[in-house]
Amino acid sequence: MQIIVFIKQVPDTTEVKLDPKTGNLIREGLASIINPDDRHALEAALELQAAHAARVTVISMGPPQAIDALSEAMGMGADRAILLTDPAFSGADTWATSYTLGKAVETVGEFDLILCGRQAIDGDTAQVGPQLADYLDLPQVSYVYAIESVAAEQLVVKRRLEDGYERVECRLPALLTVIGRMKTPRYPRMGGLLKACRAKALIKVWNAADIGVTTAEVGLEGSLTHVIKTFAPKFERRGEMLSGETADVVQTLVDQLKENRLIAP
Amino acid sequence: MLRSDPERLIRETMARFVDQEVIPIAEELDSKGEFPQALFQQLAEMGVFGIRYPRGQGGAGGNTTLYCIICEELARGLMSLASITAMQCLMGTNFLFHYGSDQMRADYFLPAMRGEKIGCFCMTEPEAGSDLGAITTRATAVDDGYLINGMKTWVTDGPEASFYTVLCQTDPAKRLRGIGYFFVPRDLPGVSLSPRFECLGTRTTPICEVAFKDVLIPNEYRVTPEGRGLSCFLAILAEIRTMTAALGLGLQRGAMDASMQYTKERQAFGKPISKYQLIQSKIARMATNLEASRLMVYNAAAMIDRGEECMKQATMAKYFASEAACSAADECTRIFAGYGYSMEYPAQRYFRDTRFLLSGGGTHEVLQTNIARWEGL
Amino acid sequence: MPVWVEIDLCDGCQRCLRKCPYEALSLVDGKATIGERCTACGACLDVCRPGAICTDVKPRTIPDFSDHQGVWVFAEQRAGILNRVSVELISKARGLAQDRGQTVTAVLIGNQVAPLADTLIDFGADQVYLAEDQLLADYRTRAYARILAQLIQTHKPEILLMGATPIGRDLAPRVSRRVGCGLTADCTDLKIDPDEGILWQTRPAFGGNIMATIANRYSRPQMATVRPGVMEAVPVPGHQGTVMVHQPALDAANIGTRILDTVKVARTGGDLAAARIIVAGGRGLNDAAGFETLRELATVLGAEVAGTRVAVEEGWIPATQQVGQTGLTVRPELYIACGLSGAIQHRAGMLDSKFIVAINKDPLAPIFKVADWGIVGDLFTVVPELTRQIEAACDIMCAQ
Repeated sequence: MQIIVFIKQVPDTTEVKLDPKTGNLIREGLASIINPDDRHALEAALELQAAHAARVTVISMGPPQAIDALSEAMGMGADRAILLTDPAFSGADTWATSYTLGKAVETVGEFDLILCGRQAIDGDTAQVGPQLADYLDLPQVSYVYAIESVAAEQLVVKRRLEDGYERVECRLPALLTVIGRMKTPRYPRMGGLLKACRAKALIKVWNAADIGVTTAEVGLEGSLTHVIKTFAPKFERRGEMLSGETADVVQTLVDQLKENRLIAP
Repeated sequence: MLRSDPERLIRETMARFVDQEVIPIAEELDSKGEFPQALFQQLAEMGVFGIRYPRGQGGAGGNTTLYCIICEELARGLMSLASITAMQCLMGTNFLFHYGSDQMRADYFLPAMRGEKIGCFCMTEPEAGSDLGAITTRATAVDDGYLINGMKTWVTDGPEASFYTVLCQTDPAKRLRGIGYFFVPRDLPGVSLSPRFECLGTRTTPICEVAFKDVLIPNEYRVTPEGRGLSCFLAILAEIRTMTAALGLGLQRGAMDASMQYTKERQAFGKPISKYQLIQSKIARMATNLEASRLMVYNAAAMIDRGEECMKQATMAKYFASEAACSAADECTRIFAGYGYSMEYPAQRYFRDTRFLLSGGGTHEVLQTNIARWEGL
Repeated sequence: MPVWVEIDLCDGCQRCLRKCPYEALSLVDGKATIGERCTACGACLDVCRPGAICTDVKPRTIPDFSDHQGVWVFAEQRAGILNRVSVELISKARGLAQDRGQTVTAVLIGNQVAPLADTLIDFGADQVYLAEDQLLADYRTRAYARILAQLIQTHKPEILLMGATPIGRDLAPRVSRRVGCGLTADCTDLKIDPDEGILWQTRPAFGGNIMATIANRYSRPQMATVRPGVMEAVPVPGHQGTVMVHQPALDAANIGTRILDTVKVARTGGDLAAARIIVAGGRGLNDAAGFETLRELATVLGAEVAGTRVAVEEGWIPATQQVGQTGLTVRPELYIACGLSGAIQHRAGMLDSKFIVAINKDPLAPIFKVADWGIVGDLFTVVPELTRQIEAACDIMCAQ
């Protein structure tokens, strides 16, 4: 069984700080981590690796520094890794990203299963996985939190819903997007990390030409959506003290909550 | 060729482990005072214990710098976990790895790397610490091996260990030239342990006395060549001291992080206490000591990795970083004021744990004498 | 570098610094300097008066999309129950359609779901495309995507909105790829730009730390998923609409997935990190029974219950529910603090909440300093009243 796992290196947004004067994001000094959902996808792949003698290929698109995410994946037990890096890839929206990843899959060739994290914490779009599945014309199951069984032709997974879950049977080859489960993904092994730093490590670096795309098709040029502006969300407190009879005060509060769409109107 | 920097990779991995797995439960572990078995097992699965040993022989293929990075990060979270790890990586397994037979490595070293067995180091005696020539534990040659007799104290991990590397005197007349290391599995007849010591700090690290009474071991359990016990010890002493310095460095970072957070949050007279110059002075001193400690630790570690003689640099690093850790923990408790006196906040733990650094790897009184001698006094 | 600064021409006016959406420009020695975050988007080119910023990126032409008309909403249902977000989106779509002088169309897919079309019309849909088939009884990605894509390719809408739900976020990207259009996820605000007439899609990014406004200039429909609960659902009394039946052409063998079973899981409570609303209590709750008052409020709000260190130490709530320096750090949309003073150690764990309500007897309690709305009073009077009023307010809509 051949498994491809896509991972993304993201800034650790739980550590984000805002400049108190400008309200802008302070990006400097933010640690880079493997996107949490992607780490769960990788863990799921490594469990299949052990149970079904699967071969796990990890692919990441990003700047050269994203090599660290792949080295860590190798340390966790991936069999090989591919970094897609090219200045032409930068500024890509999910349309251009899914195309780039799709071309990388075609370059890799054979596979039975593709695993992605549900969404990245810096973008939170959850779009690249399904878009990639459509590009490759694969069945997909998103929000997967458990893989129940795997057979030659199909697998059974649990998919998280708002109020429970559904069990889905899915034909192979297929693409799954994975969310966090109760079990923490394994930490990398020291020996594996050091091996991944060696010249002989099975890590390849591919640019646009290697996967057969032109610069007009990828990155910002190949994107369909564009950021017009960014701004800091409001954060100052209103500090309104409500006073009067309890029923009236609560009425005022409920109106305020409705107005700010905190409760259903 | 695009590849990752191994030092950054290992530091980030260990930092994440400490932030996610260690710090949230550090206070709880410390107050319970039990051996942190679950974390120890996780570290084993991560292959941490083999960081200094070569690949293909149960190790990870790292070096002293990487070993110190691991010790530093762990000590930032919980000193006692760091000291347990440091023991398993170095003193507890070193002579077994280098001088043990293939069978001994298969039976003890590899299981130790997997976290199934714990090794520890028996040096200090009730009447002999830094004065190695004064030890009285005897290894007496008999027909089919050696008989070990004597008593060791301050045995870190002693109550949990499966095997001991014991410093013995083979010939009291030879003093230092007669000492050597002997490998003693705990399950041999004649090995007995005292109850666990109640200690001020590093409370999850179990420490006890180990007594040996007519313990018969085979010849191959003599793990340092005849007459070379002292030189074998000196060969790792610089590394022990550098590692201890790395523990002190990690503790300084823990105290520094806690202090920084608290000074920004705690208000006094209408503003955060970080705005007051006397608090800033404490922070500035801690930061400067930390930077100096860092440079000294990784300078000594790099010298060891290059194969250079660095006993002086390692000793100075251990002396400086441990003193700086004591000072940082002291300042931390002052910055926390009342909360520094409360068992609920980590300041008190840093304060207690620093005392461990003062004796491990040599007392500062002995170290200062050594340094003065190297300077020509 | 596809964008660069001719240093001699730059007058240091900093307009480009303010315009850059990626904060890629900085002033070095009084001159604009482009950093590595630059994506060559070109936003700085237009504002540079001396013409110091240059590019070799060819300008993209915007195709003619005049044949794309109408604002569409994907009407999400499961087992014949309409998801509330669908009517929220129809209400929003009406506003957008008015700005564009167009109509609102809902797309309803499923098995035996025709009655739901009336609800969609009641909320303002002018047309409803109805596609029914036994194969569509369960939501399955490829089947639904195929029908939606066929409808889009045939009728060419200008805008398509979906809920950012597990179904909407599964289907929308699939459809966008199929029909070749851009997609913006999880929007919290949508409006028509009066100049260009395009849809401005605003969404949180970077874990909610910044907001980004995104345009979809080069493809149609302009597609977005929208967070449930952020748009207001307003019924349009007496509104008339037409239902148009679309005959789906589906090949069962080509769908690739099958739903074996669907299981509802009762909410056990506990996941504070993911909670949208948190109701928290402290010493003022007096005992474990006091927390029942909070639980009742939490139930009507769909919220989680949390507590201070004191509440945990007294055993009133489990340690997993502790917010504060020695507990969890949370950042919900709404944090309702009841009977807790707001010691620094507690505030450290909840200050990032988007809105904070404080209810406390002591008018000097520090929690009021960080609250958006404060009520001085006995929580055992105020909280039950709040529960009652919210329950009453929700009843109007809960029939959905």
